[in-house]
Amino acid sequence: MEISTRTQGDVTIVGILGSMDSVTSPQAQQALEAAVSGGAKKLAVDFTKLDYISSAGLRVMLGTAKQLKASGGALRSFGLNQTVKEVFDISGFSTILAVFATEDEAMRGF
Amino acid sequence: VPPEVSLSVAPEGEMAEGFQMSIGPDLNEVVRVNQTFADFADSHALPTAVRRSVNVALDELLTNTVNYGFLKRSDGALSIEVDLQPDRLTLTLIDNGAPFDPWIRIAPDTTLSMESRRIGGLGIHLVKKMMDESRYEYRDGKNIVVLVKQVLPENG
Repeated sequence: MEISTRTQGDVTIVGILGSMDSVTSPQAQQALEAAVSGGAKKLAVDFTKLDYISSAGLRVMLGTAKQLKASGGALRSFGLNQTVKEVFDISGFSTILAVFATEDEAMRGF
Repeated sequence: VPPEVSLSVAPEGEMAEGFQMSIGPDLNEVVRVNQTFADFADSHALPTAVRRSVNVALDELLTNTVNYGFLKRSDGALSIEVDLQPDRLTLTLIDNGAPFDPWIRIAPDTTLSMESRRIGGLGIHLVKKMMDESRYEYRDGKNIVVLVKQVLPENG
């Protein structure tokens, strides 16, 4: 897994390359927590290069979303492939997390 | 115990191919299984969506067994058998951990709000939904989980 962090205006974009599974998810959690504790209020997760996500990754996404909500921030995600989208749909995460098709759409009005 | 991976080719005249490997009670071994499966999927031109679904299923089930099934034993052993037919992929997971039928858990409520959501049980629910068949039996002191995923030509 590789993680990259960049900013665009007041939005922090965290890109995750590889998979978010039981072994790699703690690493993603660390990066997302660092962004939030670093003061990011608007956080976008770039899944364009994410291969697959399991429930361990969902746990990290849910935790980050709750953390941001508690601090008055918001989480968006974009670039989900077919399988990641399927996991989000089955788990009901598509309705509790803000999911966008592309980065442009995720940035609009954020 | 040295890692074991054995490749097997079906007898002449059959289209089946697959591999078998065994792992111990170590989460890092789950990574090795998923990598081995991804390599197998690549070399057999499996549709990417099929490969990804199986990677998710392996992560969920193997992690469960390593984390919970092997809790009370130091000699935990798990074998993974992959059998590829032209239209279907069958995975057989056999372990000597505590008896546990993964499919009897009640599906989690996936309609709750963000605040009330829990992750427990979600992994198994994902596997059940993403695979076409999921079976379980306990025989000769072993958990046997069988998963079947249909292999259809890649669309788009």
